Amino acid sequence: MTARPPVPDWWLERLAAGDLPPARAEEIRARLAAEPGGEERLAALARSNQDLLDRFPAAEAARRIRAQVDREERAERPAPRPALRWMLAAPVAAALAVALLVIRPPPSTSSIQDSPEITRAKGLTAVALRIHRQTDRGIERLTSGAGAHPRDRLQLSYASGGARHGVLLSIDGRGGVTLHLPREPGMAAALGAGEVLLPDAYELDDAPGFERFFFVYADAPFPVEKVLASARALAADPERSARAPLTLPPELSQVSVFLPKVSP
Amino acid sequence: MTAAGVHPRNEGAELAVDVEGYYRAYGPMVLRRCSRLLRNDQKAVDATQDVFVRLLRNERRLRSESPTSLLLKIATNVCLNVLRSERRRPEDPSDEALLEIAAADEPEPRSQARSALRRIFSREQESTRAIAVMHLVDGLTLEEVAGEVGLSVSGVRKRLRALSGRVAALEGVEP
Repeated sequence: MTARPPVPDWWLERLAAGDLPPARAEEIRARLAAEPGGEERLAALARSNQDLLDRFPAAEAARRIRAQVDREERAERPAPRPALRWMLAAPVAAALAVALLVIRPPPSTSSIQDSPEITRAKGLTAVALRIHRQTDRGIERLTSGAGAHPRDRLQLSYASGGARHGVLLSIDGRGGVTLHLPREPGMAAALGAGEVLLPDAYELDDAPGFERFFFVYADAPFPVEKVLASARALAADPERSARAPLTLPPELSQVSVFLPKVSP
Repeated sequence: MTAAGVHPRNEGAELAVDVEGYYRAYGPMVLRRCSRLLRNDQKAVDATQDVFVRLLRNERRLRSESPTSLLLKIATNVCLNVLRSERRRPEDPSDEALLEIAAADEPEPRSQARSALRRIFSREQESTRAIAVMHLVDGLTLEEVAGEVGLSVSGVRKRLRALSGRVAALEGVEP
């Protein structure tokens, strides 16, 4: 006769939490009583509970959880209709570099749909992620919800709002993740002041559905991989990838721009 | 019966979760779960926070499921997503099974129709990968898994067989 395997931790946890139906709890207790060291496992769980609550106090954990829920809900809330739009007529990078210095954009009359993009004030300036597209007519800014096409040539810019370190990446409807800033994984890039244009243009491929761009920023240095891992997880989740924010530690903030892919 | 820290506002309305009370009651359990699956304390802390965020954003599931069962399942899914996004090497045979499951393709349809069904039914379908972890890593019997996820035993078998690659051939999946 073979010995019965130990009670799985699953049942041990549920028993210790007092969350099993009485008959089931009785059965698990009986199995633990017959298992060498079984009752000690239960006692060890109670000690571990206290130890973990001492190390990670519930009040602080609850504050962080609520803050993340708030962040995610704000990120999913439609932002006000974009008020600004740039229409420039010159090659992408050079024109934008000049435009960012001297042009004050006129009020928009376009009908771009409400977007999940968030631009949050940080100090006296605003944090922003901006996407610019080169067209036959010149260069236009794409706000969240604006349609993009395969082979569109895009240029990205950011405004740090005073944050000192950042990562810029995108995910697409095929589950791909592309790192734009810094160029290589490592630590987040040191951010420049004012509006900063990334040096490289970016050509959209034929990934279906959408492209989403994220700008993740913080005051302290942080590893790029932390953001990449979250982006990979989000990109791999088709039910959330088009709308949910990146799951990030509380010290990191984010803004995003969503571009649905449309056929040419 | 009302679960610890959960207070129905009124019948048919949303639930309001006392986050701190809930964390105090179940946070250590979730931390241990995440730590066991991820084998990294800092990642476990981050994952635990994600678990409670998901719980708060899906409070309605607390109506039909026990809090510990629900939290353990959410923790499993959160950790599988973390494992899927990284490519670490297995440290032992049970870790190898877990990483195989995390890397496996999810055979369930991820369509608008499924989302619509989720809205219609109060109890969401558990992911097949989470079911595989419960059976192959945690050691729950098929009957126990079936009870935890609200499926028949044959339904659990069928879901496990549908998992792609080597996972489907692991011990215990055969009919």
